[in-house]
Amino acid sequence: MSPETSAQAGHAPAAERRPPSRRAQFADLLLIQLSNYRWSWRGMIVTGMAVPLVNMLALGLIGRPYGPEYLVHVLAGSIVVALLFQNQNNVAANFAYMRAMGTLDFFATLPVRRYLLILATVIAFFLLSVPSILVTLLAGVLVLGVPVQLHPLALLVLPLCAVPLAGIGALVGVFGRTPELVGSVTLLITIALLLLGPVVVPPSMLPDWVVHTGYASPASYAASAVRQVLFGPVTGRLWLDVGALAGLSCLTLWIAGRRVQWRER
Amino acid sequence: MARVAYRVSHLSKTFPKQRRPANDDLSFEILEGEIFGLLGDNGAGKTTLVRQMVNLLRPDRGTIELFGRDVATHPGFVTMTVGYMPQRGSALNRLTVAEALYLTAHLRGLTRRQAAAERDELLELLRLTGIRNRSSERLSGGQRRLVQLAVAMAGRPPVLILDEPTNELDPANRRHVWDVLRDRNERHRTTIVLITHDAIEAEKVIERVGIMREGRFVALGRPADLKRAVSPRRHVELSFVPGKEPALPDGITPWRRTEDTWWLTVDHGQVPALLAALDFTTVTDIRLHSATLEDLYLHYVS
Repeated sequence: MSPETSAQAGHAPAAERRPPSRRAQFADLLLIQLSNYRWSWRGMIVTGMAVPLVNMLALGLIGRPYGPEYLVHVLAGSIVVALLFQNQNNVAANFAYMRAMGTLDFFATLPVRRYLLILATVIAFFLLSVPSILVTLLAGVLVLGVPVQLHPLALLVLPLCAVPLAGIGALVGVFGRTPELVGSVTLLITIALLLLGPVVVPPSMLPDWVVHTGYASPASYAASAVRQVLFGPVTGRLWLDVGALAGLSCLTLWIAGRRVQWRER
Repeated sequence: MARVAYRVSHLSKTFPKQRRPANDDLSFEILEGEIFGLLGDNGAGKTTLVRQMVNLLRPDRGTIELFGRDVATHPGFVTMTVGYMPQRGSALNRLTVAEALYLTAHLRGLTRRQAAAERDELLELLRLTGIRNRSSERLSGGQRRLVQLAVAMAGRPPVLILDEPTNELDPANRRHVWDVLRDRNERHRTTIVLITHDAIEAEKVIERVGIMREGRFVALGRPADLKRAVSPRRHVELSFVPGKEPALPDGITPWRRTEDTWWLTVDHGQVPALLAALDFTTVTDIRLHSATLEDLYLHYVS
């Protein structure tokens, strides 16, 4: 009996098939990365919701006398806290896990582009962070009484705020030797990004050197952009923030793409 | 005449900070539709070799061609042609078994409907239907290994490279996996490259074998030919009533003794004389065998 070919079995032989389109690759990779909700939902509740809420309540209730501008900073900063934990830290943990489990090697043996994998990872974790952002925002409005002035640009700006943070996470996950080391480093970076810049506290309450350091921090640009598109007013500063966030996004994702363990030399 | 699936020429790889090469000037061919076994002790360079064959690692020197195309310059062709099951790792283990198979088949170029059919066929073939909705994270080591094998086979690639596919499997599943691989090879002419320490069971499927030591092949050929060259002698295991040691023909002495068992090695022509000399009222059992793939492996690596 002659060998049964794949064509007889209903599909073309593998070597004669066309690789899936980039759109199909991206859709599959996004689905695969969205399955991370199966472990990250606990983090979504603890670090994605509880930490920003505690941060917001502690700073907001204590500092209520400082007035509405202060409260807006606290609430926007708390949303950035949620973005940091849900995007930077989870993306870092995911890349470290993928390295440890051989998932990156697995993808490298499939007809898959590495940039699509990184992009799908970043977008998946942004989507998974949306509940944390909404809960933090809702709680801020209800507890602190901060009025929301939603600008349509929020739909663009909020994902853009998440991307450079996720990009930093991807870098740490790609370079870190072990998942444990990656966890420690991302925590340190989270603390540094929150403290070194006007993220959760207005610049007028910070020493000058901290305010200046914030110019190098994506968290500061994210906090500024979030304040403008969620609570108004949108000023020319937004374009500086968007430009900085876009630049940092490209830079971090480009480096992560170049350095990700993918067909080693 | 069968086409050459893999042609490896003067392949060398040395890892940073290592003096000894992991692969040292390897040259060999694997034919289309062949089942090729790689044996060798730990650290012999088998995994390094197959990682280069699937393009996960770049050689320092030498070339690897897959159906005539250089794997380094045709990464897309390699990904569409080869299914790889690594020695360790558990990719996609946060997906359910069914999701992992479906998405892998789709990423290997099947349509969504074909991928769903492929998923169901593989679930049945490897007896995974009962755990199709469980995530790999929650499976036993053996079940996880079966899932990884199914993932490597998803999309029916014409070449399978399997690094220790029967590790952690129970005897029944090990036998089933060898049957599945042999069937895949016979029905679809799938070229299969196997790394295994399970030499005795692998002997049933392997058509040609390469035995590696310190990054080089110390033996390469058909198991039967290699065994004949290494050991034309027969091994005999004689069990007897304790205290009633059997008489042996001149020139045959046991090389190992216990109270009730002797182990002998004899030439093929000495076997009739040995059997004639034995008193089967005191001999309780006799086992006679020629060299196995395991003997071959032990001969070359020890």
